[in-house]
Amino acid sequence: MSYLDNIRNFSIIAHIDHGKSTLADRLIEKTGLVEARDMKEQYLDNMDIERERGITIKLQTTRLKYKANDGQEYTLNLIDTPGHVDFNYEVSRSLAACDGAVLVVDATQGVEAQTLGNVYLALDEDLEILPVLNKMDLDSARPDDARAEIEEIIGLDASEAPEISAKTGQGVDEMLEKLVEVIPPPKGDPDGKLKALIFDSYYDSYKGVIIYTRIFDGKVKRGDIIRMMNTGKNYEVTEVGYCIPSTLPADELKAGEVGYICGSIKQVADARVGDTITLASDPTSEPLKGYKKAQSMVYCGIFPAEGEKYENVKDALEKLQVNDAAFNFEPENSAALGYGYRCGFLGLLHMDVITERLAREFDLDVITTLPSVVYKVVMKDGQVLDIQNPSNLPDPTLIAHIEEPIVKAEIMTPNEYVGSIMSLCQGRRGKMLDMEYLTKTRVQLRYELPLNEVIYDFFDALKSRTRGYASLDYEFIRYQPAKLVKLDILLNRELIDALSTIVPEESAQAKGRGICEKLKDIIPRHQFEVPIQAAIGQKIIARETVRAYRKDVLAKCYGGDVSRKKKLLEKQKAGKKRMRQFGTVTVPQEAFTEVLKLDDAK
Amino acid sequence: MRSKTGIYIHIPFCVKKCNYCAFLSFEAESSPRSEYTEALCEEIRLRAVETKGRTIDTVYIGGGTPSVLDVSQMRDIIHTVRECYDIKKDTEITIEANPATLGRKDGVTLAKLQAYKYMGINRLSMGVQSMSNDRLHFLGRIHTAENVARDVKLAREKGFANINLDLIFSVPGESIEDALKDLDEIIALNPEHISCYSLQIEEDTPFADMIESGAMTEVPDEEDRETYHAICKRLKDAGYEHYEISNFAKPGYRSRHNSLYWDMSDYIAFGLGASGFVNNNRYKNVSDIEEYMKTVGSGELPVDEIHENTPFDNISEAVFTGLRRQEGISYEDAIAAYGRVCPKDEPVAGAKERFWEIFKEAKDEADEFARNGLLIIDEEGLRLTEQGIDISNAIMALFV
Repeated sequence: MSYLDNIRNFSIIAHIDHGKSTLADRLIEKTGLVEARDMKEQYLDNMDIERERGITIKLQTTRLKYKANDGQEYTLNLIDTPGHVDFNYEVSRSLAACDGAVLVVDATQGVEAQTLGNVYLALDEDLEILPVLNKMDLDSARPDDARAEIEEIIGLDASEAPEISAKTGQGVDEMLEKLVEVIPPPKGDPDGKLKALIFDSYYDSYKGVIIYTRIFDGKVKRGDIIRMMNTGKNYEVTEVGYCIPSTLPADELKAGEVGYICGSIKQVADARVGDTITLASDPTSEPLKGYKKAQSMVYCGIFPAEGEKYENVKDALEKLQVNDAAFNFEPENSAALGYGYRCGFLGLLHMDVITERLAREFDLDVITTLPSVVYKVVMKDGQVLDIQNPSNLPDPTLIAHIEEPIVKAEIMTPNEYVGSIMSLCQGRRGKMLDMEYLTKTRVQLRYELPLNEVIYDFFDALKSRTRGYASLDYEFIRYQPAKLVKLDILLNRELIDALSTIVPEESAQAKGRGICEKLKDIIPRHQFEVPIQAAIGQKIIARETVRAYRKDVLAKCYGGDVSRKKKLLEKQKAGKKRMRQFGTVTVPQEAFTEVLKLDDAK
Repeated sequence: MRSKTGIYIHIPFCVKKCNYCAFLSFEAESSPRSEYTEALCEEIRLRAVETKGRTIDTVYIGGGTPSVLDVSQMRDIIHTVRECYDIKKDTEITIEANPATLGRKDGVTLAKLQAYKYMGINRLSMGVQSMSNDRLHFLGRIHTAENVARDVKLAREKGFANINLDLIFSVPGESIEDALKDLDEIIALNPEHISCYSLQIEEDTPFADMIESGAMTEVPDEEDRETYHAICKRLKDAGYEHYEISNFAKPGYRSRHNSLYWDMSDYIAFGLGASGFVNNNRYKNVSDIEEYMKTVGSGELPVDEIHENTPFDNISEAVFTGLRRQEGISYEDAIAAYGRVCPKDEPVAGAKERFWEIFKEAKDEADEFARNGLLIIDEEGLRLTEQGIDISNAIMALFV
C-alpha cells in the first residue's frame, strides 16, 4: 500500500451563503490541528471584508487528520476556493490541485447559477464530486427538492448525498466517511521529475512569498533550485512544509502532497497562480496545462481625497500589489482630481475589495472614479489602441471604429421573474442566447452582454428586480464593434474629466439626462446657481441646474442647548470635508462612483 | 468668562402637545407634577453645593408650559432658588406662560399673575404663535387670538412691564400677507419683545408624519426667507431692534437671559433634559422623568452627559453663538473665551491676529462670504448681514 492511498485532496464548492466557510470551520474543528478556542469564526475567510460579505477572496488551505471507520488515518488537504465570478481562473487552479470536491447545496435554496458554474469548473478538472445537503437544522430545509434539483440540473446522483448542518455539526462525521470513500487518492510518482502546481501565494514580510502548491510528481526540499516554468525564473528553496493553516516546516514535499514552498520571492506576481514549479537542475519537459496571465477586465481611477497624501496612496497600492497578482496600477493625472492612479481589476467585486481595503487597512481617504472596461479603438491608420480611460479616447474623426468586450452571462431565476430580467437585459443591450427550464419553476437565461453594461449596477438591479432570488455568472467571450461615444459632464461650464464615460450612442441622451439628474441630487446647493451639462463633443445633450441655496439657518437655539447646535455644525463641516472643490463648485466625493448607478427600473 | 450667571429651570408639562413640538414635555393632567416639583427643588439644592451664593443675573423658567404648575408649586421652586442663590431686585426673572393656561376664569388668571408678580417674576414670555384662530387650531394650540389679547391686557393691569410674544411663520398654507397680518396684530398689543421663528419640522411630530404622507407640504425656502425679511423690515419700522437672528426688542428690552447663551456666560440648568454651562463644563440632564426623580431622590445629580470645554470649544462656541447677535463677535471676546478670561478684566493684545491664526483655514471661505455680502469682517470682529442670516449655518460651520 502506498502513502498516497491515505491522502485526499479536495475543495468545497458552493454558492455564496450556502455554508462553505461554516463547513470548513467544522472540519477544522473536528479534524484540524488548530485548537477550537483559537478559531475565529470562519477560519478560512481571514480578511474582514471577506467575513462581512461571507465570501472568500484570498485562499487558505489546511491539512486535516481523520481517523476513518476502517481504522486508517487519512490526511485530508482542504483547498479553499474563492467564491466569486471575478475569480474564476483562481477557482479553476485551486480545483486543478484537487482530486475531488465536496459540493455544498443549501437545502433551503437548492441549486443556483454559481453552484452550476463551479460544478462545471470541477468537472473540467475531472474531479469526483460529493454532493452534500447543508442547513438541515432549518425548518425550511427541503432535502428531497434539493436532491431532485441536483440530479435534474447538474446530473449528479444525489441519492446518497449526506444531510448535514455545518452550523450544528450534524452529519459531518458521516460526510467525512463518505468523502474518504468517494474521493480518490492522488496519483503521482515521487521519484519522477518535479512537477508542482501553484494554486495560491501570499506575501509574508519574514519569509517572502509563500507559495501554496500541489506536488504532482517528484519531491522538493530546502536547498533545491526551483524554476517557474512560465516566467522562467529560478529561486532557491528556503523552506517547505504543510499548511495547518499556519506554516509547519517539513523535510520535504512529495508527489500527491499539498503544502507550501518559500524561496525569498519578492512579490506574488513572480509566483503566479497556475504556473508549474520544477527543478532547475532536472526539469520536467511539459508544464501543467491551464496557465493564464492575469487579465484586468475593469479599471478605475483612485485618487487621494482632499487632505490625503499621494505618497500614502502609492504606498498602500504597492503593498496590496505585492499580495495580489491580479491587481495592477499606474500613475494617472486628472485635471479634476489631480495626481492619482489608474488601477486594473479582475472585476467589480475585486475593485470593491481593493478600495475597501484601502479605507480599512490603510485608513486612507480616496476617491474612486467610474469603472471602465478596456475598449479596442481601431484607428483609421490601422493602429489598434487599448483604451480604458475615457479621457484618453482619441479624436473621433481619427477613429475607424471601437470594439467593446462582451461577456456571456448565465442567470438563474425562479420563473416568475423572467419577464423582468429580460427587460433588464434588453435595456443593457443584451442579446438572448437561450432560455431553459431547468425544473418547472427554475429558469436559466443565457445572454451576451457588453461588459460595460454589467459593471455598473447590473448585479444590484438584478437582485432588486428578483427580490434577491436570481443569481449571475459571467465570463468574457470576445471583443465586438459597437457605436460608442464619449459623454462629458460639465459643472458650471467646466469639463470634469473624472466624470467622462464611454457610452453607446443610442443611449447617450438618456444616460446624459440620468447623470445630470443624479448629480443634481448629489451636489449641494451653492451660493450661486450651478448648471450641470452633459455633452458629446461640443453638443450639449442634457442640462440641469442646482439652484442657489436660500436657507440654512437654525432659528432657535433651544433652551441654551449649545452642544446640540454645535454637533449640527460639526456634522455640516465634516460633510463638507468629504467634498471636492472644482473651481467654485463643491462636489461630494461619492458623486464619482454613485453617478452612474442608474437602475433603469427607477 | 464667568462675568454673569443665569439660571434655567425646565418644566416639562403642557396641557396638550402641539403638532410641531418635539420638546420634552408631558400632558400635565396625567403627570406627576408635584413629585417633579419636589425633585426639581432637590436638584437646585444639590447643584448649589458647587455654585452656592453666586449672584444671579437672570432666571428663566421655560418648558413645556411652566404656567400649568400650581401657584404653590411655582412658589416652592422660586423660593428654593432664592434660598440657594443671591437674587437681586433687578434680576430678570422670566416665565413662559401660554395663553389660556393662566386660568379659565378671569379671577383665577388674575390670581396667577398676581402670584407671579409677588414671587418677583418680572418678565412674561407668551407663546402666541399666530393671531389666526384657524392657524392656531392647525398648529394644535389650545388658545385663541381672543385669549391672547385678554391675557396681555390682564398682565399689563397686574403691572408686567416686560412682555415677550412668540410668533411662528411659514406655517403650511400661510401666505406672506397672512404672516404680516399676524405680526401687525401682535405689534398692536405693544409687547416689549417679539421672537419670530419659521416653523421647523422636527422628527417624530404629527407634522413630520403629515409631510411624510404627503398630507402637507413645507413652505418653500424662498418664500420662507421672503417672509422673514418682510418681518424684519416691519418690526424695524415699528421701532424694534433686530438684535438676534430670531429676536426683536424695543430699546432697553433685550432678553438678558438669552444674551447669556450668546456671550459664553455661565448658566445653571435644572430640570428634566436641561442643558447648562457651569465652570467650563457643558452638561445635559437625563431625559427620562422616572430616572430623573429617582436619581435626584437618592441625592445624586441627574446628569446624562458632561463635557469639559477645551479652549477651542470655547472660542468656537463664542463665535457661532456670537454670530447670532446683531453686533456679532469681536476678536477680543473670542480670544477672551479661548483663554476663559473676562474681557472686561483683561484687555487682549493682538486679538485680531490671534483669532485668524486659530481660524486660518477658514479665512478664505470667510472672505468669500464677505465678498458676497453675507458676512462683515472688520477691525473689531465679525458679524452677519441680514442676508447672511439666511445661510448662517454655512458660515458658522467654518468655525467649529
